[in-house]
Amino acid sequence: MAKALEGLSVVDISGSVSTEYCSKIFSDYGAEVINLEPESGFETRKIPPFISGKNDSAMHAYLNTNKLSIVRDKLEKGSIKELVSNADLVLSNGENSELSAYSKGVLSEISWYGKDGDYENFVGTDAQCFALNGMLRGLGAIEGPPIIPTGYQAQILGGMAAFAGSLGQVLGFELGNNKIPTLLETSIFETCLCLTEVGAVSFFNTGLEGRRLGVNRFAPTYPLGVFPCKEGWIGLTVLTPSQWHAFCKLLNMEQFAFVPEYQTSLGRLQAIEIIEPVIQESLLTFSSKDLFYKAQEQKIPLARVPTMEELLNVDQFLEREAFTSAILPDETRLTVPSIPFRLMDTPPSLGGNVAKLGEHTESFIYDK
Amino acid sequence: MTSNRPLHGIRIIDLSMGWAGPLAARNLADLGADVIKVESCENFDWWRSWEATQEWIDEDGAEKSPAFNSINRNNRNITLDLSNPKGRELLLRLVRTANAVMENFSGSVLPKLNLSYDVFKKEKEDIILLSMHAFGSTGPWKMFRAYGSTVEQSSGLPHVNGVASDPPMMHHIAYGDAVAGLNGVSALLVALRHQAKTGKGQFIDLSQVESLFPLVAHGITEFTANGKEPSRNGNKSKFFAPNGVYPCEGEDKWIVIQVLNEDQWLSFQKVVGAPLKDYGDLKDRLSRLEDLDKAISEWTSSKESQRLMYVLQAAKIPAASTHTMPTLLNDPHLNSRNFWQWLDRAVVGNQPNPSAPFRVNGNRLPINTPAPTLGQHNQEVLTEILELNQTEIDQLEEIGIIGTKPKMPSS
Repeated sequence: MAKALEGLSVVDISGSVSTEYCSKIFSDYGAEVINLEPESGFETRKIPPFISGKNDSAMHAYLNTNKLSIVRDKLEKGSIKELVSNADLVLSNGENSELSAYSKGVLSEISWYGKDGDYENFVGTDAQCFALNGMLRGLGAIEGPPIIPTGYQAQILGGMAAFAGSLGQVLGFELGNNKIPTLLETSIFETCLCLTEVGAVSFFNTGLEGRRLGVNRFAPTYPLGVFPCKEGWIGLTVLTPSQWHAFCKLLNMEQFAFVPEYQTSLGRLQAIEIIEPVIQESLLTFSSKDLFYKAQEQKIPLARVPTMEELLNVDQFLEREAFTSAILPDETRLTVPSIPFRLMDTPPSLGGNVAKLGEHTESFIYDK
Repeated sequence: MTSNRPLHGIRIIDLSMGWAGPLAARNLADLGADVIKVESCENFDWWRSWEATQEWIDEDGAEKSPAFNSINRNNRNITLDLSNPKGRELLLRLVRTANAVMENFSGSVLPKLNLSYDVFKKEKEDIILLSMHAFGSTGPWKMFRAYGSTVEQSSGLPHVNGVASDPPMMHHIAYGDAVAGLNGVSALLVALRHQAKTGKGQFIDLSQVESLFPLVAHGITEFTANGKEPSRNGNKSKFFAPNGVYPCEGEDKWIVIQVLNEDQWLSFQKVVGAPLKDYGDLKDRLSRLEDLDKAISEWTSSKESQRLMYVLQAAKIPAASTHTMPTLLNDPHLNSRNFWQWLDRAVVGNQPNPSAPFRVNGNRLPINTPAPTLGQHNQEVLTEILELNQTEIDQLEEIGIIGTKPKMPSS
């Protein structure tokens, strides 16, 4: 079946988590994606987690299904220039200006802080983006220290935003709305502000500044958080008066249901010391799975909070093929997430092969 | 409309509410699409308020929500009571002029309104429908309800964050919303590209929970590659030291410091001086982590966090002070890059609007109009696009199909 982005060519000249997540969406939807790697390989080949007993990066495998790998040091300069200049989209972390100068289509640079400003030359990390976007200060115990989010979350978010910006520019050119060459610059830090901008604008209007209230406490919503059950963990979010009434009934705490002060989130938050012990005691009489289904039947948006093993076995996700296989060069199959959105008539690839470093160099030279 | 905006000529009918759908729509509007948001006076966007009272309505509360106003810029806003056959008919007429429709209701809402992809497709053969349900449009949980918090709780992410002695840790009051929004704009762009190439529309099934899986990929692959649940070690890293959040001068002031390689360690050791002189390579540092963190905390605690960030970054050491909401609005980097675009908005006055996270040829995508008021474009859309006359519009207002003020829900 034809894929929606067939016919587009994408060349990644940098190989960061952000550029590779961006190009992953292109490759899943049918674009030809070439990783133009140095002889030592992209840095993402060396980032954790690693596959047991090997030096292969599991993260690299997740990010790089259905892409071609060409070692640029093996190509003549003219071939590199032709490859980059013929691409509809060139992805860069902003550092490899010699290669990016060849771009004649959309050059999409994804960097931590952008090409100017006070932080332009900062050494970036995911944690920094969450420190500077204001999110980190709200995480963890009241006395601190704030707890750093794990993994590559900021870089993945940057890759998501860059995909939208990049495809927007490519589509705009195809529609005749804009010209190429075009330079699109995505800031990973600015992407992360989509998580906190509302808080900043709220502060501007109300003068109210949120404090760190403890693990899983986020004003003004209450009850909200992750709590232990008899078996497993349950995620609570109770927002509207009708949800509160149904929640109180479900947890056999109807004495709280119609207390006037408890009809709003803020009112309940102010009474947390009265309400929470009763909630905690009641939750321990349920298994999280049973409580989740009972709550959802009554339109209360509770959640099971799965471990990795549980996540991979949730029937909802299994039925939807939310996980798939990245197939490594030695045929090892690694379970990884599928793409989160499905175009039903032009579906994406689910999983696929991960190229060995330089696997497609020879064939590229031969085809030339 | 600026001619060089990439989505010029594309029209999106946005039925979405809250954060996820509207954020996707905002990105499309920033890229130049004509986004027409459809609310109704009774079923208005719940981000205006989920605890509406008559007093709130009388005091123009619907127009004062910072959350709503910061997400809905650059679009047009109309009201249509979709539970009324006439309102529904007008929506379908609008769909005939559009490229795509988007919604993020729970699974039961569109069927109740007798709306679906097939219904939209009958009106316009090449229409695209993006549905952004919490758990997706298929599977046993397709009708289940969720907020952005529920989405994060369901995604596995809490189990790879925090410290083992605490419950699995959430990041945010509604992490799932913003991330699903970023995925929503991407999904629609892919389908719009296909539509432009082939003249065909289609249905897009987006799962908000699955939208968070890429952010948990390090935890999922840790488990699938090694068969072990990731441990929740707080700020301790197996790979780096120091790696933490350290106290600075003042109440609740902190700095993140992450030394990722030995060059950075040597620089850091030089900047800090005596307190770190006895620490050696990574193995040594990891073996004495508690003492190391204590020494660094003592050193940082008398220093102003923002200034220290610049000092460390000048030595190429990854460091950042923790912003608060007030300091975020005054961030020198963001201000020098014109990230906050200020626009005058009815009822609330001059407001900061966050820019799109990308620039094109060095230029910010312009925010031409602030979030519209409820039904602000009824007249414009009903006359210019649906070609209704004034008598018809007056009748719609009279029978409550359109309006510009919220109403308390009838039940």
